[in-house]
Amino acid sequence: MSLDDDSVLWAEEVSVDFGGLKALNKVSLRVPPGRIVALIGPNGAGKTTMFNVLCGLQATAAGRVRYLDQDISGWPPHRRGRAGLARTFQRLALFTRLSVHDNLVASWESSHRGGVFGRGRAERAQRVREVMDLLNLWPVADRPAGELSTGQGRMVELGRALCTDPRLLLLDEPGSGLDARETAAFSQVLRTVVGSPDGPAVLLVEHDMALVMDVCSLITVLDFGQVIANGTPEEIRSDARVRAAYLGDVSVAS
Amino acid sequence: MSALWPFIVIGLFAGSIYALAAMGVVLTYKTVGVFNFAYGAVAMFCAYTYWQVHDSWGISAWFAMPIVLLVVAPVMGVVFEAVFRPLTGLSAEVVIVVSLGVLAALQSLATLIWPIDQRLEPIFPVKTFVLGSQLHVGYDQIGTLVISLSMAALLWALLRHTKFGTSTRAVVDNPDLADMIGVHGDNVRRAAWILSSVFAALVGILISPSQGLDVNELILVVIYAFAPAVLGRLVSLPLAYVGGIALGVTGSILSKYSNSGTIANIEAALPYLALFALLVILGPRLKEVGAASRRFSAAGWASAAGRHGGLAGRFVLDVGRRRFAIDRKLSLGLGALALGILVPLAVPGPRLLVITGGLIYALIALTLVVLTGWAGQISLAQFSFVGVGAFTAGHLAGAHGQHFLFAVVIGMLLAAPLAVLVGLASLRLSGLYLALATLAFALVMDNLVFGRNDVSGGVSGITVARPEIFGVSFNGRAALYELVVVIFGLVAVAAYALRAGPMGRRLHILRDSPLAASTLGVNLTITKLVAFTGCAMVAALGGALYGAWQQSITPLDFMWSASLELLLLVILGGRSLITGAMIAGATTALQAIIPTSIGKYLPLTIALGVIGLAQEPEGTVRMTVRQTVHVLAVLRPLPKRRTGVAAVAVAVAAPVSVDADVPDRVPATAGSVGHVA
Repeated sequence: MSLDDDSVLWAEEVSVDFGGLKALNKVSLRVPPGRIVALIGPNGAGKTTMFNVLCGLQATAAGRVRYLDQDISGWPPHRRGRAGLARTFQRLALFTRLSVHDNLVASWESSHRGGVFGRGRAERAQRVREVMDLLNLWPVADRPAGELSTGQGRMVELGRALCTDPRLLLLDEPGSGLDARETAAFSQVLRTVVGSPDGPAVLLVEHDMALVMDVCSLITVLDFGQVIANGTPEEIRSDARVRAAYLGDVSVAS
Repeated sequence: MSALWPFIVIGLFAGSIYALAAMGVVLTYKTVGVFNFAYGAVAMFCAYTYWQVHDSWGISAWFAMPIVLLVVAPVMGVVFEAVFRPLTGLSAEVVIVVSLGVLAALQSLATLIWPIDQRLEPIFPVKTFVLGSQLHVGYDQIGTLVISLSMAALLWALLRHTKFGTSTRAVVDNPDLADMIGVHGDNVRRAAWILSSVFAALVGILISPSQGLDVNELILVVIYAFAPAVLGRLVSLPLAYVGGIALGVTGSILSKYSNSGTIANIEAALPYLALFALLVILGPRLKEVGAASRRFSAAGWASAAGRHGGLAGRFVLDVGRRRFAIDRKLSLGLGALALGILVPLAVPGPRLLVITGGLIYALIALTLVVLTGWAGQISLAQFSFVGVGAFTAGHLAGAHGQHFLFAVVIGMLLAAPLAVLVGLASLRLSGLYLALATLAFALVMDNLVFGRNDVSGGVSGITVARPEIFGVSFNGRAALYELVVVIFGLVAVAAYALRAGPMGRRLHILRDSPLAASTLGVNLTITKLVAFTGCAMVAALGGALYGAWQQSITPLDFMWSASLELLLLVILGGRSLITGAMIAGATTALQAIIPTSIGKYLPLTIALGVIGLAQEPEGTVRMTVRQTVHVLAVLRPLPKRRTGVAAVAVAVAAPVSVDADVPDRVPATAGSVGHVA
């Protein structure tokens, strides 16, 4: 069995047009199981658009998305969510009026069959407790999510995504708005999540190159809606085109 | 049979006034991002002012016209700008609520000042041209067309060839960027409000000589303009103009065939049918201006939840720490219900009937709490569903009322597909467009369904028998009261349980972040449809009770304005609270018993209250309580001798802090105070 076949996610030549503008031009992308893959590129390269395509919020002009051996190209967002494809948002999209705990509970209920009728309370309570423990959310459990700091908010979004029992996590700039300590804690948590049995694969968009180089085992680089490079952190670091397009103006610790 | 073309020409004249009105509506939506439900009220108010100055005081039109168009209308525009400016960035729902509040305020103010049903003296000479052999065209019609066309041309020139136009386009494109390059957004927005008000004034003055000057009618006539505005997707002025003309022509052509009843009805309902159809057809392509830049600022909600152990405290259903808090609330409710059952022992019959009515209104209001307060959807059609339930009960429950339960079930089953229909119109829509769809639906129901004699019995209405269920007669006042109080209690407990559980959470996440909810696995369409349909069915249940309570019902009971009034009361009472619905019901009952000398000021008070409280999901009573708690909590730790001064300071500062323009700051302070308390 080749590596291709067991990819959790396999986007093939995805194109998106905004009016005349090609926001994405035949972008292909693979996320192998148990790995953290980064999608990087300068602002406006099409990273968030790609995320929206993957979770079904953005229609494509061409191309298809395979997820766990299924073609999910035509699936609406909620169906993808139920299938274990979870995402976080660059601009936090918390359920501001609900408590942190209820954000996670609502997520579990949304993603599990019958959850809205109160089925599986015990499982739900257990899963939510695990995630609260893992992300150390108990101190803010009762706080309405709208009152949290950005750092805490990102943790709640991650927790909310984890409560769906994801097979694939899409993290949109999880490091932005975090200080150094929070970032370190975040990458620690991310490793734990991915390393656990049945842990999800992760695709993340990130500007913090230190974080990317630290946690990711594969990197795909976008520029002007096209993939310009693909490889391990070492390969990407030494890629001339990437340096020119992107890393050239960011000092990368080597 | 006469030729078709005269009808087309006549239609052009009628359409030109819709076109004028539609441009005014589009102008503010495009520039400011506010869809002004009060637009018709402005037209009405200005027409009345003109009537006052010209017809009543006898001042020449040469003075009266400039007074209205250059002073009164612009002043109204400036006031509107001031009212809506602080709402920038808040959710569509708040903006809609405020504009509905303004509509109600102008309406009730006009009712207080002016006699109803006046007729403006003709503005143009009462003469006609004769075109061909079949068509006589009035000077007023020609005048209207000319004014409409020249205003369109003026607006076009203004937007294309002046600095104001460039600035407007900059502000429409990107308000933040426009501010940065030195375009004064506030000035542009103010100018748009002023222009829009002047347009409205013109519409009011031009239309009143023929349509009559009436507080309610004139507002409806201007709703005609909403369909063309939607045709232009609320942002295209030329399309809005063309749409207005098309609407006028279509209506006129229909009037040629309107001898038979159905077509006449369709003609009357045409603007609303068109509005509804356009919303359905254009649905997926309609976007809300400024929606993207709206903050997820639900600060008021967040703080409210934190302080009252509201939503935040509720998760403990799982954890169990605060279970007693829920049980306490529930037992309080059940206690109140038990007390409620005993009320007939203490209250005399006629009063009891008033209280029964209040409870029925509270039951209907409860559906608005779920829809508006919890799911964030505004419905202006709730009384249409009430009407469905009431008329079904009237027809099916028979003279002896044996089949009351059967009639209730049928009424609810009839309401369901109608609700699905409206819900489908709003499948991909939210906020504003759902509100518009419900408004259109309510007006269609008023005109096409409730207007039919075989449905509603026409002006005289039909009778509804008091219920008899399993051999028990609820004919007496006390018996009817008991039936209503038990049903209300059951529905309220059900709503409470719903709110505390997974369903309640789902409604809330639908409102807080639909995007996130959908990526987590929530089917937005189904959720919205279920919420809307469920609420419609309960409203139909309320309708059956309403019919049994009134015993005689007419179409007037279920007009869209009834929906609007109740919605405003719910917002005042607290749209996120079950008690809010009860306050709304109680206020309705109060309106029935207080003397008119005081009661006539009530609608205006309510409307002004709604404008002030639109951002406050917990309404008046809860806010008063919280203010008191706030004051007491701050007072407690202070040394005795300084208490007096502090009390004054807090009393002055507290309301200001809640109304401040920086909502983000409020919850932090208020929240911590709440925890202390």
